[in-house]
Amino acid sequence: MKPNTEHQIFSSYNKKDGFFDEVFNSNGDAKSIYKKLFDLYGDHSVAEYVQLNNKAKASFFNQGITFQVYGEKEAKEKIFPFDLFPRIIDADEWNTIEAGSIQRSRALNLFLWDVYHDKKIIKDKIVPLELLSSSSNYLHQMIGVDPPNGIYNHVSGIDIIKHADGNYYVLEDNIRCPSGVSYVICNRTALKRALFGVFNHYQAHTVTNYAENLMEILESVKPQGVDIPTCVVITPGMYNSAYYEHSYLAKAMGVELVEGRDLFVENDFVYMKTINGPKKVDVIYRRIDDLFIDPLEFNPDSTLGLPGLFSAYRKGNVCLANAPGTGVADDKAIYTYMPEIIKYYLDEEPILSNVKTYHCSRQNELKYVLENVDKLVVKPVDEAGGYGISIGNKLTKNEIEEVKKRILKDPRKYVAQPILSLSVHPTYIEDKNSFEQRHIDLRTFTLLGKDKEFVLKGGLTRVALQEGNLIVNSSQGGGSKDTWVLKK
Amino acid sequence: MLARVANNLFWMGRYIERSEHIARFMNVNYFSSLDAPNTLSQSRQFVLKSMLFMVGRPVSNDELILNEEQVIYDLGLNSDKPYSILNNIKAIRENANSARDLISTELYEAINKFYHFILNYESDVLVKRGLYDFTVNVTESSSILRNKIRGTLLHDQVYAIIMLGINIERATQIIRIINTKYNDALNAQGSYGNKIAHSSEWSTLLKCAEAYDMMRRLYKKTPASVTTLEFLVLNADCPRSVMNSLNQICSHVQVLDQSKYPVKNSTSCLVGKLRSKFSFMQVEEIEKDIKGFIDQILDDLFKISERMEQEFFNY
Repeated sequence: MKPNTEHQIFSSYNKKDGFFDEVFNSNGDAKSIYKKLFDLYGDHSVAEYVQLNNKAKASFFNQGITFQVYGEKEAKEKIFPFDLFPRIIDADEWNTIEAGSIQRSRALNLFLWDVYHDKKIIKDKIVPLELLSSSSNYLHQMIGVDPPNGIYNHVSGIDIIKHADGNYYVLEDNIRCPSGVSYVICNRTALKRALFGVFNHYQAHTVTNYAENLMEILESVKPQGVDIPTCVVITPGMYNSAYYEHSYLAKAMGVELVEGRDLFVENDFVYMKTINGPKKVDVIYRRIDDLFIDPLEFNPDSTLGLPGLFSAYRKGNVCLANAPGTGVADDKAIYTYMPEIIKYYLDEEPILSNVKTYHCSRQNELKYVLENVDKLVVKPVDEAGGYGISIGNKLTKNEIEEVKKRILKDPRKYVAQPILSLSVHPTYIEDKNSFEQRHIDLRTFTLLGKDKEFVLKGGLTRVALQEGNLIVNSSQGGGSKDTWVLKK
Repeated sequence: MLARVANNLFWMGRYIERSEHIARFMNVNYFSSLDAPNTLSQSRQFVLKSMLFMVGRPVSNDELILNEEQVIYDLGLNSDKPYSILNNIKAIRENANSARDLISTELYEAINKFYHFILNYESDVLVKRGLYDFTVNVTESSSILRNKIRGTLLHDQVYAIIMLGINIERATQIIRIINTKYNDALNAQGSYGNKIAHSSEWSTLLKCAEAYDMMRRLYKKTPASVTTLEFLVLNADCPRSVMNSLNQICSHVQVLDQSKYPVKNSTSCLVGKLRSKFSFMQVEEIEKDIKGFIDQILDDLFKISERMEQEFFNY
């Protein structure tokens, strides 16, 4: 069905049934919340819109929000694809998302404390022991370690989708080094530059307060005995794909962006090398993976981290955010137990639903998965960035057999979920010079500190740019949209 | 501030200044040669050799015939030549990248725009008809960067380090340009009196430093070797003079070095000594042995830079 409009730039919008369309209702009319926006955009001629789109791209280019494409003589820079048509979330829906995100973060934090201390949840047989013992992200070095103020997942990125039934579901929790928050802020900047008139018509919450909240969270978990903590962000370096984000966060918080080589450890305290000599560091927002943070304790070949850091951490002389070993809780296998985990620690019903997930380590579920590979999404539990995922209805017979073989080889490694119909949103497609329907999801950013919780009112709406594609990750060619959370 | 990052910012400042001077030198020399008063100064080969001399790649073989398009490409956009403007600007951005958290968004965006302008500049256009547009753009963009540095950064240690880089490089480049034009004046001598002292190359030299108009205002006569050198080296009011740069270096070093009295052989000690020497220098001393003067001051500036490295950037 075509939307009911004469607007030229929506002329090729083809509304397919079976998906939740965020903007158009079943009659093809723009929903009330989008009505104004739809008309504002529709008033543009194609030529005008192309010009705006180019302006937005230039804004990204000049801000240096690019990633490098190698292979040619000169490394070419490409911008992270950005769609000018924003997504709107109303206040009520947002309250659910926000409450649900905080609930999950709290439960995950208590779970992490438990699995590195008493393991009550295992003793009570809520979560099977094998799930921990077989997880490569469970760090035995963390057993019995008390992170400052008991916080493990200071920063969580929770991926949420809207299904055809109009309800939100959590796709996964990211509590190692979730990325993307800088794009939230840049998307807003670019949209404001290109379409400065549009904002007058809506009351959207700001997203620029993320860094100040992150800073408060980091300061709240300072080690004991420190008065005014020195916080830093540690990055693997400027060739890391998320370097822009690392530098953005350091700048927005007004703290140093350091690399391992800028630090040293003496008597279990961490110092950075400044032009005026050594300066003690108290809180490190680390954007380096667990295994690379300290070659003495983890991967001995790592040159990114800092020898002795873990020992300083264990002694409580420095705080690491997020704590090492959080990866055990964002494992997709643990995800399947989230409703039970929430109930166990908080005695609450989950506010956000989980997607029905089959775990291949359970015999009867493995059988079901093997028989229904064509109807399921099969995911490795420990990969990020959309790698290793197979979507059943896109596979050939041979490919289905290959997937089965892979699962049988290591059932612990795989989970499966029904193929979800992610909601769709009009997205400007450059080749067609008009809007088309594309699948989207939402990454929210939740912060947890001592006596403080915060969810960024916005988040990153990711768009799968290819028609029909369900994988929105940027590493798989996805783009993003500005996300407006409306004030009540 | 991290020592490693300070080092990068220092070099960012140096590369900003360097690319501007190379661009201006190319522009002024090429265009003033088109209607220069004597045949030699008009000669393409003479100008091209002068450009290569300035970036530290002198052509020793007099017989060698240079290809104009190749030389312009090498200086402007050749990514294989370490001295090219393109590589200088890449280095500006690379250094800025590593200190992105310390500098303002406005400065970074200006650097980025500059970088993309150069990266997308067609080499064919540059060598055939774009030299003016290209070099003017480089000098203007460098001015924008300096303005963003002055106007958007805190005037703290970060600023002091960038300004140290800019001023050490400025003094160095002015000396290099003096050296080149002195060399040109030896080759293209004037037509009356002391032929070297009255070569038209001194005017070109002043224009290379964008100092011609103000020099005329001050001296009210045609530039000659003595007046030009006095203005570009010793006049503290001339914004690009060596003396002015030394004064700036002195004040910026003091932001970094907060000891009450300069420590023996510290950067601020070396800088202070050099400035005192220049404060009392007479232009006749320079003119007597221009070559020796140039070697000495380049060596002094190098030593300051080296000392800074040990004192502040050692990590």
